[in-house]
Amino acid sequence: MSEDFYIGWEARAGTGPARRMRGVVALLLLAGLGLAVALAAQQHTIGTSIFEWGTLKPFSGRLELEPYPHLLVPRPGATNTQPGFSTYYLVAPFKHGLDREKFAALAGQMVTLQGTLIYRGEQTMVEAVPESIHTVVSPASLPTGAATVSLGRQTLVGEIVDSKCYFGVMNPGQLLPHRACAINCISGGIPPVLLVRQKDGPAIYLLLVSATGKPVNQQVLDLVAEPVEITGEVECQDGLLILRADPQSYQRVGR
Amino acid sequence: MSLQYQAVQWNRQKRLYDAVLIGGVALYLLGFGVVTESLFPNITEEILLMRAFGTAAFILLHMILCIGPLCRLNAGFLPMLYNRRHAGVTLFLLALIHAVMVVTTYHAGGDVNPLASIWASSPLTHSVAGVPFQVFGFLALVILFLMAATSHDFWLANLSAPVWKALHMLVYAAYALLVLHVTFGVLQAETSLVYPLALAAGLVTVLGLHFMAALKEVRADRNINAWDTDGWVEAGAVADIPDNRARIVCVSGERVAIFKYAGKISAVSNVCQHQNGPLGEGKIVAGCITCPWHGYQYLPETGASPPPFVERVPTFNVRVNSGRVWVHPQPNPAGTRAEPAVIEL
Repeated sequence: MSEDFYIGWEARAGTGPARRMRGVVALLLLAGLGLAVALAAQQHTIGTSIFEWGTLKPFSGRLELEPYPHLLVPRPGATNTQPGFSTYYLVAPFKHGLDREKFAALAGQMVTLQGTLIYRGEQTMVEAVPESIHTVVSPASLPTGAATVSLGRQTLVGEIVDSKCYFGVMNPGQLLPHRACAINCISGGIPPVLLVRQKDGPAIYLLLVSATGKPVNQQVLDLVAEPVEITGEVECQDGLLILRADPQSYQRVGR
Repeated sequence: MSLQYQAVQWNRQKRLYDAVLIGGVALYLLGFGVVTESLFPNITEEILLMRAFGTAAFILLHMILCIGPLCRLNAGFLPMLYNRRHAGVTLFLLALIHAVMVVTTYHAGGDVNPLASIWASSPLTHSVAGVPFQVFGFLALVILFLMAATSHDFWLANLSAPVWKALHMLVYAAYALLVLHVTFGVLQAETSLVYPLALAAGLVTVLGLHFMAALKEVRADRNINAWDTDGWVEAGAVADIPDNRARIVCVSGERVAIFKYAGKISAVSNVCQHQNGPLGEGKIVAGCITCPWHGYQYLPETGASPPPFVERVPTFNVRVNSGRVWVHPQPNPAGTRAEPAVIEL
């Protein structure tokens, strides 16, 4: 064995190389741990959202399919200041929206279903098990949606996200690293939402529809996950904010 | 070295190397996971794994790229080089786990084939978002796979050293692709300055060390001495060469390692036949020139590995006059005996 010269195929390293390497290894391990802490602690894109994965719950309410499938669930203890229902977006498992054609006959009817709850702030969504959706034959009550309220023509700047991931299935589920997933989800029928971040308040979420109120999933794919400016008619339907605008008029902002 | 073929010649040093390597990676992953779960309990587990393994792979790649120049600058780092390929395979496995998490999380479960989705879901647009950063990552992974798959000396022997070396130099292409992957991916989302600063520090470290190592070699190559009328080149004083060590001189564009041992002087090509290691930075051990990188050995008089090994390097004719070493710049064919010059007392 050579004391001052390292030969890897020898059984043991010489005392000189071994001593030096112990110091180098200790420094590298400390540096690695320091990097792990620094890189992990500086993540700023992880919000507060929940996907109750693995927990199926029963839901019952009035099924609406326009502009995107959602469920109006009667809310106990409704007051004059609060609507008598809660609104849940409805989506299918994985990167698929609920099949609107398949459930067209159930639109406006009271249904029951099994699903997994997804929520972020006041935004609620159910990943429904499609086979579990059934009509309630004699419903005790059928919630009626509130009248659509126009909030006027507005220009908004935000990011187009796929509502399922951003509301909780993925966290973080936004910005460029998530772009491909968002494109797959929106392409698969998940409602596209304009996420408008506010400096001094909670984020605003607007469902994107065409000027005639139709889904725009396939038209917005190239603009997902980057800043866009959209001018259109904002309205509130069933507690959901909706932005009506021709996707051709969406403008990429900066960059 | 062994007389009997073994796929991997395990010894205590190799086991220690792997234990430190795997332990270090595990420590990093654990640290990243614990801090993330503590500060951001709502993070999706798949994304936590994706980020932990992705950053671990990128950091390990930096370390691997720094080992070469560090060893050229300071021989104290040589123990990190001998089993560097183990770090390379570990890097590929970390990157593969990152990629599997990305594909299953972001690309599976939709209408498009998950692998096709890597391209289809990155539409080119006239903006930063249109830069296909995931494609950069995929191409880098392909390179890392090719390198990991051919890391064993079996492939070095079968592909030939030049082909193998060229293939493994693609690590720099993989690094460039991964810098783009990070720059146009996560850096476009995370706003902390820590990330661009860490990326810049890594890039400067890798490039800086390579530059310093190259500068050292260029300076050494300029160390040319006088030529005499017969075409011999003066290569310095015998007394300046430590016993059992060498001096490297550059003659006719080729580096020559001039060894002093047992009262004699011999010269061989500086380039080890195994992986182009610098033989002149090695040592005479048990009568053989021993490469500092992987311990390949050659007899100084013939440039041939002792039987049963078959590696051979070119030799150079040498002579000693008045305490000065002279070397003839014309190399002898690899493995040709060149009479050692006896050192005058």
